[in-house]
Amino acid sequence: MEKGLKLTDILVTIVISLIFGVIYKLWGPLYGVVATLGLHIEQLIYGMWFIAAVVAYLIIRKPGVALLAEVAAAQGEFIFGGEWGVATLIFGLGQGLAAELLFAAFRYKRFDMLAASLAGVASAIASIGIDFYYGYIGDLALWNLLILIGTRLLGAVLISGVFAYLLVQALEKTGVTNLVRPASEEDYRALG
Amino acid sequence: MDFSHQETWLHHINPSLKLLILVVLFIQILMIHNINFLLNELIGMLILYLFFTGHPSKRLVLISLPFLLIFLTSSTSMIFFGKGETTWLHWGLVHITEESFTRGLHLGFRGIVFAVLGVVFALTTRPVFLFYSLMQQLKLKPKFAYSFMAAVRLLPLMAEEMQTLNHALKVRGVQRKKGITGFYHKLKSYSIPLLSQSIRRAHRIAVAMEAKRFSEAKSRTYYYRLGFSKYDGLFLIYLLGVTMLAYYMAVHFPYFSTTDVRYL
Repeated sequence: MEKGLKLTDILVTIVISLIFGVIYKLWGPLYGVVATLGLHIEQLIYGMWFIAAVVAYLIIRKPGVALLAEVAAAQGEFIFGGEWGVATLIFGLGQGLAAELLFAAFRYKRFDMLAASLAGVASAIASIGIDFYYGYIGDLALWNLLILIGTRLLGAVLISGVFAYLLVQALEKTGVTNLVRPASEEDYRALG
Repeated sequence: MDFSHQETWLHHINPSLKLLILVVLFIQILMIHNINFLLNELIGMLILYLFFTGHPSKRLVLISLPFLLIFLTSSTSMIFFGKGETTWLHWGLVHITEESFTRGLHLGFRGIVFAVLGVVFALTTRPVFLFYSLMQQLKLKPKFAYSFMAAVRLLPLMAEEMQTLNHALKVRGVQRKKGITGFYHKLKSYSIPLLSQSIRRAHRIAVAMEAKRFSEAKSRTYYYRLGFSKYDGLFLIYLLGVTMLAYYMAVHFPYFSTTDVRYL
């Protein structure tokens, strides 16, 4: 048995990620338009930028997939000419690492909505951390900073937690996930 | 869609090196807290964008429209709600100060600098060369690089599939519901078939690649060989020159009196 990710895992992860890479790219202008409403309403949709890691991990369920997916999606957004340029790569790396660590903390054994939501929150925290340097958000008035953090976390839970989980659940019904998931305990028991 | 363009010296820079330089530049620009310095850097990068990407000016203008949006999203919150002492306007929650205003402008310009650099990279780098170069110069494992290239090739297929889906839904007379549940249903009726087909296709491609003996062997041959050239040096010298000149001009001919936009 070869350790780590096999070619199939990587290829499937990257294909999924590039789909989200396209969405990430399109999300930029949308985010910009929503932002004109003011008071950080746009932060509610920020969570879309954490979704690749969660969806890919929930589908493939292997260590390393979340990080790879988020980095690949960011790379995709970057080579399609995303408006945030190189910043995307740094944010992608941070967000992917955070989600990966969260799944690792569950020893890669939890694939439920809670784990997905927490991974979204972890990514959000990573992005907020980078934003202290990138967006000087520490220099916002405190109430405003709290709204920003609150809405971004809420958006993360809703989009990269709840929505991602529902999406993968619907995908499971198509049977396609069986192609790419490792055999589980239950499968072995069914054989026995 | 026509995307023809001329090749310029920016196209001949080693893609890995170009990427690494951009990452270093990103970190350097994050360290700039002087808005004068940043503005000068922006001019240096805009020169690359406007004159050296080899794309027609009409397209460049079109691509640069979102820059304005980037500027607005990056700056407005800070201008209206940032900390500061010298009040210009206080109206309800909005509190514009001189400090928050310059800090907001700084963030806006920073956003544009990154946008310009990112677009310059995207316009002057062929993804295939980038991944070949990443394998050859930065020792990226071939299974990652080839997966990426295969995935990029699948994107047009997905776009086509999207069209087909659209037609199929129309032919079958699927009614659109209103509100948030309607939106969710619409999203699902597109994303599930698209994702599941893509996963199946990716899986088949991986199986086929392995069947054709795609291997992890250390020494392999490449269809494209990428190396370094004088253009790499030229790019480095240009950026170093811009940075030094930008700093010099910022110190001696500032536009704003502020030299550090952070709240101290």
